[in-house]
Parts: sequence; structure tokens; C-alpha cells
Amino acid sequence: MNKLWKEFSKGLWKDLPPFKLVLGLCPVLAVTSTAENGFGMGMAVIFVLTLSNLLVSLVRNLIPAKVRIACFIVIAASLVVAVELLMQAYVYPLYQQLGIFVPLIVVNCIILGRAEAFASKNPPLPAIADGLGMGIGFTMSLTFLGGLREFFGHGQLFGHHVAWAGFEPVSFMAEAPGAFVSLGLLLCAMNYFTNLQRKRKGLAPIDGPTHDCGSCGACGSK
Amino acid sequence: MKPLPPTLTVTAPPHAHCGKTVKGRMRAILIAMMPAALLAVHHFGMDALRVMCLGAAAAVVAEFLCDQIMERRSQVDDLHAFTVGLTFSFLLPASAPWWMVVFGSAVSIIMGKMIFGGLGGSPLCAPLVGWAVCSLSWPAHMDINASMLTSELNYPLSQLKHFGVEAIKGYDLDSLMVGRQLGGLGAVQTGALFIGGLFLAIRKHIKVGVSVGMLAGVLLTAGLFRMADPAQYASPMFHLLTGSVIFGAFFLATDPSSSPMRKIPAALFGLTAGVLVIIIRVYGVYPDGTPYAILLANLAAPLLDRIKPKPFGKKAAGRTLT
Repeated sequence: MNKLWKEFSKGLWKDLPPFKLVLGLCPVLAVTSTAENGFGMGMAVIFVLTLSNLLVSLVRNLIPAKVRIACFIVIAASLVVAVELLMQAYVYPLYQQLGIFVPLIVVNCIILGRAEAFASKNPPLPAIADGLGMGIGFTMSLTFLGGLREFFGHGQLFGHHVAWAGFEPVSFMAEAPGAFVSLGLLLCAMNYFTNLQRKRKGLAPIDGPTHDCGSCGACGSK
Repeated sequence: MKPLPPTLTVTAPPHAHCGKTVKGRMRAILIAMMPAALLAVHHFGMDALRVMCLGAAAAVVAEFLCDQIMERRSQVDDLHAFTVGLTFSFLLPASAPWWMVVFGSAVSIIMGKMIFGGLGGSPLCAPLVGWAVCSLSWPAHMDINASMLTSELNYPLSQLKHFGVEAIKGYDLDSLMVGRQLGGLGAVQTGALFIGGLFLAIRKHIKVGVSVGMLAGVLLTAGLFRMADPAQYASPMFHLLTGSVIFGAFFLATDPSSSPMRKIPAALFGLTAGVLVIIIRVYGVYPDGTPYAILLANLAAPLLDRIKPKPFGKKAAGRTLT
């Protein structure tokens, strides 16, 4: 249980996908113009990520190593098609808002990254915990970023006016450059607080990404 | 408060200092901007003074706070933040609300300078970053015509954009030169800025290549359009004396960290900006294309910097750019 909780909770802060792993930036930048869009996108990713982690973990001993990437993509693609059809059936307005970014979940780095780095090496239960944790972390980040941009860009949160009466929306934040700027500033703030924490513990400050190689392994150093 | 780590190690002692300091350069730039600032107060009243003071003060405070957060020794006394704030406020209409001036000025410093590591690190001209953020965010407050309805002066560039060349017949170049037009409050004092720019050029505080290139780019491109169809396009001198072309050529594009270093790249950089100004004015949606033209040219500056002389002793046919 303890191990499961560890796998689950690392996605919530330590390896928070968009900010700590810096993966899946394409939807992070594109669909976070409002909190609702970010939340919807996050839910779709939770669904695909958890199930793809489970499936990949189940078939991990059957797949030949050389074609594993293609197999992961096929699994992710079939799940994404399912999500797409479900969204068309039940939340069509949101589907129209997210547009091309729902099918693009197939090539989202988080899905493939978790399948390759975690699910293909671990049994199903930890894989599900990892997928859920990462998915929830991703959803939280997207909703937070979307909320931030929606608040400053439109003075609203989830479509409700929350700003004070004389507030002049910073429309810059709701447009494309605002996504880059707010993402950069958020990363900046997170690194600042991480270093502040480390300083309090008496550790040396770190530059750059803070995750260990376990979450990536792309350079083949393992 | 730890000092900046030394990034450049120099050995072999006897050194001579040329005597130029950042502070001295900034002081010269401020002196060069002074006539335009006075004329702006003359034309737009105390409102202009309010915008300029707010802009400069907000920039200095923002830089000081950034230094505190970044745990650096503060260098606000080199006047660079003050100059950036003042330059930014020169681009605003005199009616700009106080919070927009403060916000834009702080953004200029934070996103245009400090985020890239302070003085000399920025790939973009700092005041223009704040200007771009403000003009994307609050087009209504940045729209010079709409926000200055009470003034008896007019905004010639927007008249040219919306009513064609007939509408600007009433402007003579002399009145444009003394700033009898609307626009950025300091940026339209073209005559005063030109004198200030010449002062900077003679004292070698700016790269003359950039300014000459930009003015040439504006004049040549506008001249070509004028020759093609005088009934449709305004004259080159009109383009030169309206909006913020002169201000851009002498004070914005010459920003040392965002313009190329050598002479030929600097001239090409200015030329690019100048050509873009007229192209944006003729085909774009913005009446005055200068800020965006300079920002775009800033982005091309690292490319232009690749034009280098051959290293001594290298063969002519050899590949020198590695």
C-alpha cells in the first residue's frame, strides 16, 4: 500500500507532469485559455493515461522490445478514439472547444513517457497508481493555469465573474503569448520555492529540472 | 546580498579604462530625451508629466524588487531602469490610466530585462516588451485616437490608415516636427528627438549604423510606394516625421543588448526595422508599425550577428562560421 501511495503521490508534486517533468506542453499551452477547458482536457488525459498504463503493464512481457513504441502508440490511439467518441456523445461543446487537441493526446509525451518509463517495467497495480497520480497532477496543473489565465484574461473563473467591478482584464493573458509567459513564470515560481525549501533543509540549490532519471531514461543512461 | 559572480576573468594587469560607464551613457540618453519631454509637457500638459514620472518610478521600484528576489546587489543607481521606464512612457498616449503605466513599466523591466539576467542580457528592447503587452491587453486605452478625443490635435497615422492620403493634406512638415500631432506622448516630438539623437550619435553613445539604416529603410520603402502611386501612398517625409520612427531609430533600436554588434549587421538590422515599419503601416492593422517592426528586427539580430569578418589567417574558401 505504501508503495502504491508513493507511486500515486509523486505525480502530484514531486514529478508534476507539466511543471516538473516539463512534458505534454502542447495541450498545456494551447487549451488552457479557460479553467474549464483545462479541466476537461485533464479529465480526458486521466482516462487515457490510467487505462494505457494498465494495458501496457498487462502486456509488457508479450511485446518484443523492438516494436514496443509502436505497440504503446496503438494502445494509446485506441483509447483516445474511445475518449473522442465519448466526448462527442456527452460533452460536445467542450469537444468543439478542445478541437484538435483531443486526438493529439495520442502523441502526448506524458502518455508515451509513462508507458515507456514506468508501465512497461512494473506490474499493473503500481502502473494504475502512477497513471492516476500523473493524470490528476496534470489536470490540477492545467486547471490552475487555465484558471489563472481566465481570471487575468477575462476576470472570470469557470465562466463566473469573480473580479472586482473596476477590473480591466489583461487580455494578453488569455491569448497565445500569455500562455508562454504564464507557464514560464509558473515554472520560475516553482523552482524558486523548491530552492527555498532545499535551503531550509540545508541542501544546495539546484538549477534546471528537478526530477531524477527514473521518470525519463531517454538518454539511455540506465 | 551576494555580489554577481565574475563571468569574465581578465589577467595581465596594466589596464586602461576608456572612461565610459553605463551610468554615463544613461545620463547622456536622459539628456537627449529631455527636450522631447519638455515639448511633451508643453503639448499635452501635466498629464504627460504624470505618465512620465509614474513610468520611470515604477520601473526603478520593479527593478529593485527583482534584485531583492534574485538576491543580487541592486544596480538601480546605474539609471538604466529609470531610462527604460521613461522610454516606455514616451510611447504611451498622455491619457494613459495610472495602473496601465505602472503595470507596463514594471512588465518592461521584469519581462524585458530582469528575467534574462539583468542589464545586457535581453534579446528584446525592454520598453517595447511592456508596450506590446499593454497594447495587446488594453487596445482601448492604447488607442491614441479614442483615448485623446478631448485634444485638438489629431493622430495623422490613423487618418492615413482609415481615410487615405487625402486626409493628411492639412499637415505641414514643420508642425509635425515640433510635435503638433498625436501619438506616443514623447515619441511624436520628432524634431526634439532628432536633435537628441544627433547628440547621442556625435558623443558615440549609440551605434550610428542602426539609426542610419532604419531611417534609410523608412525613406527608401516609403519612397518606392510613393513613386508607385502618389495618390494612394503618403510621402516619405510624412512617414519619417509621424509616429515613433525617429524615436525608434535613435532610442529604441539602438538598445545595445538587442541589436547586432558590428557595423554591417547593425546597418542591416536598422534597414530591416525601417522596411518593416512601412510595410506594417501600409498593409498592417496598426497605424504605427514602429514598435512591432523593431521587436521583429530584434528577433533577427542574432542571425545578423553571424555576419562576421574572416578570422586572421583562415583560408578564403574555408568555412569560417562554425
